[in-house]
Amino acid sequence: MSAAPVILADGRSLSAAMLRQLFIGQCLVVALHLAWMPPWLLGVALAAAGWRYLQLRDRVPRASILLRLTAVVGVLAALWVEFGSLHGMDGLIGVLLGIYLLKLLETHNRRDARVVICIGFVAMTVAFLHDQGVLMTIGALVAAVWLLQSLVGLAGAAQPASRWRETLWLAGLSLPLMVVLFLGFPRLGPLWSMPQTERAATGLTEEIAPGDIAELSRSDARAFRARFEGREPRPDERYWRVYTLSRFDGERWSRLTPAELARALGRAEERLAVPATRSPFADGAPTRFRAELLLEPDSRPWRPSLGAPLASDVRQRYLTDGTLEGLEPLAGRSLLRLASSGEAPAHADPVGPAWYTRLPEGTNPRSRELARRLWQAAGGDSQAYLAALIARFGEAPFRYTLAPPRLTGRDRVDEFLFTSRAGYCTHYASATAVMARAVGIPTRIVVGFLGGERHPDGHYTVRDYDAHAWTEVWLDGTWRRLDPTAAIAPERIEEGPQAVNDADQAYLANAPFSPLRLREVSWLNQARLEWERLEYRWQRGVVGYQQQRREAVLARLQQWWGEAWSRLTTGIRGPLLVVLLVGLGGGGVLALRRGWPRFRARRHEAWLMRRLQAWLARRGQGVRPGESPAAHLRRVAAEGLAPAPLDEAARAYERLAYARLSEAERQQRRDQLARACRRIRQQWPRR
Amino acid sequence: MMLGMAARASLRQRWRRRLATPQGQPLHQRRLFLLPTVFGLGWATLVLVLLLFGINYQNNLAYGLAFWLFAIALVALWRGWRNLHGIRVTLRSPQEVFAGGEARLGVHLQAPRARQGIQLRLGGDPVTCVIEHGEGQAQLTLPAARRGWQPLPLLRLHSDWPLGLVRVLAWVAPGDPLLVYPAPQDEASRSSRDDGEGQEERDFSGLRRYVPGDNPSRLAWKQWSRTGMLATKQFSRPPRRVLWLDYDEAPGDPERRLAWLCARVLAHHRAGDAYGLRLPGVTLTPDGGDAQRRRALRALALWRQTPEVSP
Repeated sequence: MSAAPVILADGRSLSAAMLRQLFIGQCLVVALHLAWMPPWLLGVALAAAGWRYLQLRDRVPRASILLRLTAVVGVLAALWVEFGSLHGMDGLIGVLLGIYLLKLLETHNRRDARVVICIGFVAMTVAFLHDQGVLMTIGALVAAVWLLQSLVGLAGAAQPASRWRETLWLAGLSLPLMVVLFLGFPRLGPLWSMPQTERAATGLTEEIAPGDIAELSRSDARAFRARFEGREPRPDERYWRVYTLSRFDGERWSRLTPAELARALGRAEERLAVPATRSPFADGAPTRFRAELLLEPDSRPWRPSLGAPLASDVRQRYLTDGTLEGLEPLAGRSLLRLASSGEAPAHADPVGPAWYTRLPEGTNPRSRELARRLWQAAGGDSQAYLAALIARFGEAPFRYTLAPPRLTGRDRVDEFLFTSRAGYCTHYASATAVMARAVGIPTRIVVGFLGGERHPDGHYTVRDYDAHAWTEVWLDGTWRRLDPTAAIAPERIEEGPQAVNDADQAYLANAPFSPLRLREVSWLNQARLEWERLEYRWQRGVVGYQQQRREAVLARLQQWWGEAWSRLTTGIRGPLLVVLLVGLGGGGVLALRRGWPRFRARRHEAWLMRRLQAWLARRGQGVRPGESPAAHLRRVAAEGLAPAPLDEAARAYERLAYARLSEAERQQRRDQLARACRRIRQQWPRR
Repeated sequence: MMLGMAARASLRQRWRRRLATPQGQPLHQRRLFLLPTVFGLGWATLVLVLLLFGINYQNNLAYGLAFWLFAIALVALWRGWRNLHGIRVTLRSPQEVFAGGEARLGVHLQAPRARQGIQLRLGGDPVTCVIEHGEGQAQLTLPAARRGWQPLPLLRLHSDWPLGLVRVLAWVAPGDPLLVYPAPQDEASRSSRDDGEGQEERDFSGLRRYVPGDNPSRLAWKQWSRTGMLATKQFSRPPRRVLWLDYDEAPGDPERRLAWLCARVLAHHRAGDAYGLRLPGVTLTPDGGDAQRRRALRALALWRQTPEVSP
């Protein structure tokens, strides 16, 4: 292997080979940011590298301070245009990457190169703020090893082989220590607040207006994942509540935050939203599901809960309507353990029934008229009235579709009930809520998810297209779930959104390249499931490793160790086993220490020659009595069988046997002999 | 209390001599010193920054990278220490050094394993060296200013291997001091220069048994035909005029005179003359050959030198 020098002859300047290495390192680090950064930063990287390339060939001078300043200002300006400001997280990351790439212009000596590599490690860490998945980890590992070998090169490795060998030693030996530190280091809360990236993990919005958008967002982005301790919910129990909508202005349903609600009703906000680890409202409700949620990063506070939330492992905000909110935005994926009732909240909302029966005057007159007629037909019985209403939806003209006609008028519920009669969950939930409120039944709309794909290893993945809306009505002193979609499209509840076959509407309309489209191809689906299992384990085990989990793991380790120790120290077999193991280990070490040099020595000439002679003997060219090894080889060579390497081997062997050589020369000759032996085997005539 | 520069330097030198390993002995762990470099401190800062990232963003991969870099630094510490541990250093003194020139010292390093990126320094610029297949070579130069015994400074070995985070240091005490001969200066007449030249060996002095490689023209064919034994005729040079190189005859101040005498010694040796040397207090009887040359140069180097150091 040719060894390009790292430092030029003047003892200071970096060689072109080293600069190339630094540039490759930059590319590997920037590749981690590729999905999030502005693509023109790649142009910056190429421009800086191109300038250095030309400069090393004396086509352009060294980048002057003016040029460098201009470049920095240019990148900052472009970032300003791109993001609108440099305060946001994306802007800051852009600045870091820009400086990292431009630094190549003024990288001239060993110290500069080390600075570039250190910035590279910081930039790599920043990429973890975007994603901590398996692919990101593998990419970061590759980039880190590359940066490491550049550092080894800078410290004076003569040969690429020795550089890589040292790098692998460093990386390999440090990994166990890293694992120990990772497991043992106490996890602290954030010391101060840092700029965060704004993002929404789910496609849920603060308000819904049936018919506003003609098509529901059908993306396959993951909303969250869950694993259950104990009983798992049946398909018709998988109603994940996220938040409720209770204000209706005739067109759209909107959500009020606890602060807004408190202001609208003149109540204290502390009564409506309580930070706690246990719900203060749901006393006595039985816990039916214990779920461990793996939440995607989200700057909004919503946390899904299977029914009403009862208790969680970390403090959350419990709202009176059964909504659960986090206290901090989620910067990364995180785990939340949650006990929930699986049903609509049982407690009366202190907001009061009046709030839940409000309808704006004079809207949707035809619906109100229909409501009045049905109410009379039901004889004033709420249950019978709602049953009749839902039964109506199950009848012929109503159909379930993901691409309903747009509704544009003021009285949208009228339009839906009497004209279009086609829609998805939001339309039906909205119509049900209006009809129920029209006769004075307290009603609210719940937005959340229905369903989730169960992975063979037991965890559930809930995706954006599982988003669902249903209603909750106050009946007989408790809130009850009432899902009108169940009447019109029961298969949506049982089998998920892919079961609803619309002639004109595929359920993954917004994700043309989703791997979920390949469910039908069995091995591809198998591969997808395996990948999801790996991803889930990674996210849950490594990314979600926080204080509580750390304590659990350490406790388990301690217990395991305690058990192993007590098993070893009690009885007669344990100590015997220890003595045996120690003896075996010590013996192994001793054998290695003595045997290894001997083994190495066997790679020497005598061993090589014995092997070669045996090999020749198997081909009818054995050694004759009184013939020296070299003479033997020369005789075989004279017969025209692979003569050149045989002669070379004989020469090398004689030098090794008789000449006074230094150890370095001996090694060279041994290598030569080994090479010749290989060539003899290659060139031996085949028949 | 302020120490004088010279006093401080001498103190440092004495301290280092205590820490130095004698040449030829393997570097012992108690004679290896670890010092963090500036880059090492920068690395510590980097680890801290990444750790803060991990804490403030609750980001486990950032934690992981911080811990990994920390672990790598620890492993690098050990690998760097191991890189110098057990090396045997031997210094080979140069054949001869004249004042005003440079002494070229061969450094021979031996170690059972391969070693990388070793920097050797003997006062001047460091030289990089590696050990492969058990040994490594390097050449160091040392300016020789004055004639006489010149003690060798401590040889410093250091290596930033493998990452440049830590510098491993060791000092090796070189053995014998260097004997520096006076600088030969010969601007005087070259009158006696030709005295010994052009004289062939032409006086027959006897026979000896033939050795392969002898000049065929000097074979004793007559003796061969008579006895069947192959023999070679031997001749001897004519006796030389006996020369005396005298301090009192040399021009200039004492050092100048020594320089002139040195040049004469070299010239007469080249010519094959026999010469004697007379210095005030030292007299060498006339003789020729390498031994006489060595004696004469040594006498010139050490004449009226304070014997502060000697082998």
